[in-house]
Amino acid sequence: MAGFTDDLLFSREHTWVRIDGNIATIGITDYAQEALGEIFSVDLPNMDTYVEQDEPFGTIEAKKTVAELISPISGDIISVNEDLSDDVGIINSDPYNTGWMIVVAMSDSSELDDLLDADEYGDFVEEDEKGR
Amino acid sequence: MDEAILRENQRRGSDARPTLRFYGWTKPTISLGYFQDVAAEVNIGFCRRNNIPIIRRPTGGKAVLHHDDLTYSVIALEDNHLFPAGLLGTYKVISRCIAAGLEKLGVRADILQEGRESESAELSAFCFSVPSQYELLVEKRKICGSAQIRSRGVFLQHGSLLMNFDPVQTCRALVTSDGPVSEEASKLQQRVTSFYEYADRRYAYEDVCGILKRAFEESLGIRLVDGVLTEEEETVKERLLEYKYRDSRWNMEGKRPYEY
Repeated sequence: MAGFTDDLLFSREHTWVRIDGNIATIGITDYAQEALGEIFSVDLPNMDTYVEQDEPFGTIEAKKTVAELISPISGDIISVNEDLSDDVGIINSDPYNTGWMIVVAMSDSSELDDLLDADEYGDFVEEDEKGR
Repeated sequence: MDEAILRENQRRGSDARPTLRFYGWTKPTISLGYFQDVAAEVNIGFCRRNNIPIIRRPTGGKAVLHHDDLTYSVIALEDNHLFPAGLLGTYKVISRCIAAGLEKLGVRADILQEGRESESAELSAFCFSVPSQYELLVEKRKICGSAQIRSRGVFLQHGSLLMNFDPVQTCRALVTSDGPVSEEASKLQQRVTSFYEYADRRYAYEDVCGILKRAFEESLGIRLVDGVLTEEEETVKERLLEYKYRDSRWNMEGKRPYEY
């Protein structure tokens, strides 16, 4: 499975989290962007919005579907990727770096225990595909 | 109601009940796709003057003027064995079911294998102006348009099957400038069709629903059980109506309830 990065944690809802102390940067995985296909727009909350683990924090519109973005952790949004309003295509082309979506000040770091490492996420995706 | 069933399916997880609904519209109504800009894509003045409400769907896609159409919705777990993996899998399966139903009603529809591009900038915001992959066409004209949302392992796909089509009224509602629409209406007429252009007789609305239901059962090898909303779905529906679908901030501005 290409595109996985070792320094990230992953959710079963296909988001990734990069941790720096108490700060978490969040985006969608390469697997998710590929499944969605060409992304047309993304709707993200404003700064200071509180997001809750396993609850929607935004929405993506791709060619044939709308997909809700589910937050992998809880906390206050301290930054939103403004570059996405100029070129949402970077979610497709560079999902783990310039295609990041929000930065959150975590309110409960124990929630990270619910997330998967790269190997576990790779297995999860494989199982998911096999189940069809 | 569709979103209430989606939310309840999410809550129930593996106990979710896949649901098929058919419904109609008591008066002409515009439904916008989730991301559409109402001012850029709907003639708001015309809609106000003609008492046409504008609502926003939870799903993507483009604007639809509902009136003489039959709307379907399917809500199920993404990993339900009836639907293949991938976003387009549900379009393909559901289109096959509807095509089988139309065939029983004497209308032969084809499933489009490759999507097309819109040829008209003025009507590019209108759902039926451009067919997408796996949508249904009769003699190369679109008869049914669909859209979906996926969230937390559940998908909701709904679509509009045109029973009759009024290109002039559609253009008046969806071309943002007032003025003659005959040119656009004629372009639309070439690309869009409706059930009664081909059906050999009138059917009661309930009969069409019944035949489509049977086509879903036969195509998918399942038996559908008639039902009403559960108590939980009713509660979620009421909450969604209050905080979302009766609120102009959602319908007209596209703001999600937690942003109010």
